[in-house]
Amino acid sequence: MKPRVAFFDFASCEGCQLQVVNLEESILDLISVVDVVSFREAMKEHSDEYDVAFIEGSITRPIDEERLKKIRGNAKLLVALGACACIGGVQGMSNEWSPEENKKEVYGDLPGYEHTGDDNPFFEKPIHKAVNEVVKVDAYIPGCPIDRNEFAKIATAVLMGKTPKLPNYPVCVECKKNENICVFELGEFCLGPVTRAGCNAICPQYKSGCEGCRGFLDDPQTNAHKEVLEKYDVSVEEMLKRYNMFNFRKEGY
Amino acid sequence: MFGVMERNLHIHYPDAPPMHLHRDELPNEPVRYMNKKIMSKDNWLSFVDRLISDDRREVVGVQSKGEKFVFDPLDNAKDLKLDHDVTILPPKKYLLPTCEELMRFSLSDGFEMESCSKAVPRIIIGMHPYDLIAIQQMDQVYLGKNPDENYKNRRENTLIIASDILTVSDRSFAASMGTCTVSDGFDLLVTDLGDAVVVEEGSPAGTELLSKYTSAQDAGEGDVAKVTQLRQKKQVEYKVAVDVDKKEWAGLLEQNYEHTVWKERSEKCLECGSCTLVCPTCFCYDVEDTASIGLKDGVRTRTWDGCLLRDFTLIGSGEVFRESKEDRYRHRYYRKGKYLPERYGFVACVGCGRCATQCLPDIADPADIFNTLHGSNMRGEPKILAIPKVEEPDMAEPLLTPRPATIKRVEKMAAETFFEIELDDGQPLGHVPGQFVEVSVFGYGEAPISISSPPGGNTFELVVRTVGDVTSKLSTLKSGDKIGIRGPLGNGFDVEGLKGKNLLFIAGGLGIVPMRSLINHVLNKREDFGEVTILYGAKHPKEFLFEDEIFRWHERKDIVHKFTVDQCTGDVCWEGNIGVITTLIPKVQFDPKDTTAVVIGPPIMYKFVIRDLKGLGMPDENILMSLERRMKCGVGKCGHCQINGIYVCKEGPVFNYAEIKGYPEAL
Repeated sequence: MKPRVAFFDFASCEGCQLQVVNLEESILDLISVVDVVSFREAMKEHSDEYDVAFIEGSITRPIDEERLKKIRGNAKLLVALGACACIGGVQGMSNEWSPEENKKEVYGDLPGYEHTGDDNPFFEKPIHKAVNEVVKVDAYIPGCPIDRNEFAKIATAVLMGKTPKLPNYPVCVECKKNENICVFELGEFCLGPVTRAGCNAICPQYKSGCEGCRGFLDDPQTNAHKEVLEKYDVSVEEMLKRYNMFNFRKEGY
Repeated sequence: MFGVMERNLHIHYPDAPPMHLHRDELPNEPVRYMNKKIMSKDNWLSFVDRLISDDRREVVGVQSKGEKFVFDPLDNAKDLKLDHDVTILPPKKYLLPTCEELMRFSLSDGFEMESCSKAVPRIIIGMHPYDLIAIQQMDQVYLGKNPDENYKNRRENTLIIASDILTVSDRSFAASMGTCTVSDGFDLLVTDLGDAVVVEEGSPAGTELLSKYTSAQDAGEGDVAKVTQLRQKKQVEYKVAVDVDKKEWAGLLEQNYEHTVWKERSEKCLECGSCTLVCPTCFCYDVEDTASIGLKDGVRTRTWDGCLLRDFTLIGSGEVFRESKEDRYRHRYYRKGKYLPERYGFVACVGCGRCATQCLPDIADPADIFNTLHGSNMRGEPKILAIPKVEEPDMAEPLLTPRPATIKRVEKMAAETFFEIELDDGQPLGHVPGQFVEVSVFGYGEAPISISSPPGGNTFELVVRTVGDVTSKLSTLKSGDKIGIRGPLGNGFDVEGLKGKNLLFIAGGLGIVPMRSLINHVLNKREDFGEVTILYGAKHPKEFLFEDEIFRWHERKDIVHKFTVDQCTGDVCWEGNIGVITTLIPKVQFDPKDTTAVVIGPPIMYKFVIRDLKGLGMPDENILMSLERRMKCGVGKCGHCQINGIYVCKEGPVFNYAEIKGYPEAL
């Protein structure tokens, strides 16, 4: 029997699932080796019988945690899909404030605000967690959005029983192989030296500094990186802003 | 067409020159073509345009990329730059691409694979002398006795139109390295004099190119003098100089292994690998199998790798052999200034300054390091780190292509799996004890596995512990399944040299697997050897391998054997010794001065066993051992298995302790 695969979304833009749909002709190859039993963005049918669950999005409320745990219970393997699922995503920045402060900022005293209290499960204590802060994750496909080639690579590794291995070297490696001009030389600043490669250095390729959407390396050289940022006159505020964008307080900056 | 222009003429296939002989001292200078032509700038541009439009080859040249320069395919001669300082990447990218397919394979059919050796015929224009010299170094590494097919194919299909340096790069120190001018290795060498261009012919292919696509006059004495003047003028424009001659780099490094500069600088290192990636003389690589998304087929690719990256020395079991940042940082300089010079006779730095330009913390500049060492009073215990001389064997098959083989028998052992394997061509493997093979499981990759059977016979045996992807998959294979084999690789034991000697075998854990090959060889030819003592330790009684064979040892009166376990827990009955392997050594009789010890086991074991053997008075040269590292290519090219300058896959895995004890990275 072909492995059954299901896709689920939590707090996210669903753009990573869209990347999967965008595999175009190779999605036909994929469904020749798996049965997709649930994929809200691409099909109507749904089943709770699956072997591999792909999770997009960060985990926000108690009801989300319950739902995720149920999925984990059903699935033999669970794959975090995209930056929100892998590291919490940009919404992780809101963790700087309490759920109450956030709700006040968003809803204020506009009509209907009285329904946004913690007694409403849809608005109960929203904070943003990566999937592995709630359940065990077997494989990660990082990035905002994910890279389609990497999706194919990790998905095939999972299906073949191989270690779903991500590069453990920084974006600089791919940047150099692509012969990009270092964005530091263009006056930009870049998280590439501390960020996990695998995106083919797509942002520096277009002269834009890396935002760190793929998360930090296992052993990021943050002290050396900080020295470089100081050398290039990057202010502490600017540094923190960029570090916190996808990796809110991940490295104690 | 240019079909007859085979380019073997000035590609050297050199054997390694004698130790410490440098490139500029190499004997037998190749044939030199000294014809120099001159043409107007317009004629030069139309010559290049004709190459682009009329020649069958792809024409690449130096072009602007923002304020930097890159080699890229040329559409128009006007895009070509000859006044560039340096390109971001060196032209090595055309000979060893950042990523290339080595082979394609089917995942559904047993063993269907096809080697890929695509070479786009190409003319490269604008290569500076230092890059040309770097390519000559690569030629020595990749076109040696057993050439790398893919590299060779590309190299033979590449014409080089070099160019004299007009703009000196800020961080270059090519003048100090003697690499800012060049006298051979090119097909054509152009010098842009502004209104006119002087072209020197360096090969028949270059001469033919000129005569076919342009008509140029012979350069006059005045023109040649202008070229010489230009070179002399440029030579003094370098802002960076190395105060110590490159021939003295090796000696300087031997004195400074413990210098504080390694730690100080490495603390600032981002471990981004940029210095190695942009280096024209760094050519280590990694190989990986990837399956297509439909799992029908897959591809084995080779990509650039670099010793500054932590996972460079990572093996399947999770061990990283060059663990500290300082060691990785130091290794790069030693490879350039000490290890490759000793092995090949060239200093593996051409002074292009790319590493210095690209390193954000600015700690990658060899000029800075060697000037610092030269100016420092700090000197440590000298570390000579000589590379043992090993005759490179002739490889039967292309270097990177596995031979198809069939699994004849599978047996589950304790936590391991035993395989008997036959090559599909029916040939015996032809190994000696202590050698290894690279086993391919397509889609999963290649792993180095010790050969466990003695020489002889049409099949050979492997024992595999499940640690990584390849071994995990391997352990699920059945009799009749197909795998790929490269090898035998490595040196193996000097079986002839061991004849007549008293032998003390000391095996710990999986160390028994390669050792079994030698033990069984010795037992098969028992009369050729002196006294034989076998000590074998496992963590737990359940973990002993080859129980049947061990049982047969009991029946032999001509050997002494003792076993031990680290611990004995649970329901297993064990009446033997309990304790680590060294507790067995005092329990057997042997003359330390007249016995050769063969020690194979986990890394931690060596330290204690060697200490105890030496304590009994055994001379260092009587201790043989087999070491494990990340053997990836198996042929001394990819760089992963290095213990300092030694390739474990080539000079090892069997080492004499006397030979390797001075290597900080060995034990």
